Amino acid sequence: MLKSSRREAMGLALATPSFLFLLIFFIVPTLLLFVCSFWLAQSFRLIPAFTFDNYTRALSAGGFYALTWNALKNGLCTAVLTVGLSFPAAYFIVYRTRGNLLFYLILVSWFSSYLVRIYAWRVILGSNGLINTTLMQLGLISEPLEVLLFSPFATILTLTHIMLPFGLLLLVSALRDVKTDYIEAARDLGASQIEVLTKVILPMCYKGVVGAFMFTFVISAGDFVTPQLLGGRDGMTTGILIANQFRTAGNWPFGAAMAFLMLAAFLIVYLAFVRLLDLLRLAPGRRFHD
Amino acid sequence: MSLPNIVELYGVTKAFGALTVLHDIDLSIQQGEILTLLGPSGCGKTTLMRLIAGFEPTTHGRVIIEGVDVSNLSPDQRPVNMVFQRYALFPHLDVFDNVAFGLRLKKWPKDRIREAVQHMLHLVQLGEYGSRWIHELSGGQAQRVALARALVNAPKVLLLDEPLAALDLKIRHHMLAELKRIHRETGTTFIYVTHDQDEATILSDRIVLMNRGRIEQIGTPEEMYAHPRSLFCARFLGETNILSGAVSACDSDLTHVAVGRGTVKVPANGSAVSVGQNVSLAIRPEALQVRRRQGLGETTENALDGVVEDVVFMGSRVVYSIRTPVETLKFQETRSVDGSMLAPGEEVRASWRPDAAVLLTQ
Repeated sequence: MLKSSRREAMGLALATPSFLFLLIFFIVPTLLLFVCSFWLAQSFRLIPAFTFDNYTRALSAGGFYALTWNALKNGLCTAVLTVGLSFPAAYFIVYRTRGNLLFYLILVSWFSSYLVRIYAWRVILGSNGLINTTLMQLGLISEPLEVLLFSPFATILTLTHIMLPFGLLLLVSALRDVKTDYIEAARDLGASQIEVLTKVILPMCYKGVVGAFMFTFVISAGDFVTPQLLGGRDGMTTGILIANQFRTAGNWPFGAAMAFLMLAAFLIVYLAFVRLLDLLRLAPGRRFHD
Repeated sequence: MSLPNIVELYGVTKAFGALTVLHDIDLSIQQGEILTLLGPSGCGKTTLMRLIAGFEPTTHGRVIIEGVDVSNLSPDQRPVNMVFQRYALFPHLDVFDNVAFGLRLKKWPKDRIREAVQHMLHLVQLGEYGSRWIHELSGGQAQRVALARALVNAPKVLLLDEPLAALDLKIRHHMLAELKRIHRETGTTFIYVTHDQDEATILSDRIVLMNRGRIEQIGTPEEMYAHPRSLFCARFLGETNILSGAVSACDSDLTHVAVGRGTVKVPANGSAVSVGQNVSLAIRPEALQVRRRQGLGETTENALDGVVEDVVFMGSRVVYSIRTPVETLKFQETRSVDGSMLAPGEEVRASWRPDAAVLLTQ
């Protein structure tokens, strides 16, 4: 009794700092922003109110849908690419290599700053960049491909590059829990290599896959720096629009309303993704008998 | 009656890089027997089992199951199933779905799967546990599910890799009896890997004793215990007293060995020894006769005089350590009805019949 209550007290003491941090710097600001989304702004001043105007204004503007679609598309493409590219790499690192050298080499790309990497891609993809000059010198194209830079393609490529180590980190640690015993047991019971993947490995590292997917999706779909610097005119996203409301237009309530609409969109994507995995029978904790 | 061989190994060699862990193993496993691969850790017993299961390719040699060369087949294509040391039950599936795993891959119809799984769960006495999650099971229950998951596929051979190692002693003895029962009821051939000589003796029809990647001796538990062919075998199976000496004479049927200041006569058993050769003698603790020395005449043949050093009372039996000028002997007897025991410090004589000792040249 005494021991368990002491353990509880200990747990509480360990959890309190992070809980307080999140409360003060995340939950309270989010609630304030949520309240703010029902207010009005007039010439840079906030007017307390309770109105859905901001939401209806966003939802009735055609541009909002287009930009939100761009944002979701960036997020989905980046998440699919990141998970799709880092899963085989993680598999290789966990099951085919003894040391972690490869893992660390990939993580090294984290050591350079986010902005530096965005500008590096500008150099590579630009009109006088590495790709265009090489292709032109090879005589494959006569003038630079403008579509490489300042396009959703550039945004997704760069975001994938930035997100890959995150995805890898999450998937490596998830795969480490799927000991080779489980794989051998499945093989022994008659599973082909593909069946081992779909019936054992993926369900067992479900949390890692969902985590890696949602993590990269949310950060990429909400990002406004990369699309602004690399996305061009077609690459505008809701993130840029929201940032503008706060930074230049001074319309916090409208920005807040759009931010919560984005949040809702993210939740829908999350639920859809989880449902998809469930339909594909990749989720754990399912019974297949009655 | 000679039963057909279900598994045959010919010249199986396994090397990991420069390290050879199995040297040229030939072995036949009979239909329906429980064969134990016994040996200390690192002797190659687990590797040998993994070669039969198909988890590792052989470096040389062939693995034949029911007359078919499976050496180049992957584990999913071999008619064997395995029970893993840490069970490896799938945590994302419940008990029923774990057991049904193999049958679903074989695309059995639903009702046949249900029937087979229920039958198997009843066999391992977990009939009501189908909907339990794996983390809700005790060690012994997990062990039974692992057995059911393998046996439901009706394997030609069931491979068991130290299946009781993770269980505590009491459950282990119970599970040994259970394994024997399940073996009787299914008639499946069992290949059982263990480093525990007690498990091997209790369970096996035959024991394959392995050491450093080679087979040391094959035989029934009784044969192995009574007639170890090497020092390693004598030491590994049961307690034993080892005396060393040099051959002093060879009769037609008895070999004379000089041990200390006395002579030990031991059946020659066809082992070719020459006078002067150094040999070992193995004598089981229960094969000794120990009497108080008082009033006994001098003798130097098949006897050693000594002093009781230590007495360990173990309920139905008593184990003594007797210090002699040559070696400290272990002596074991069943507790006498009147409860009389030798006491530490008593002067005693340990003697034995010639055929109680085994002559070992290696």
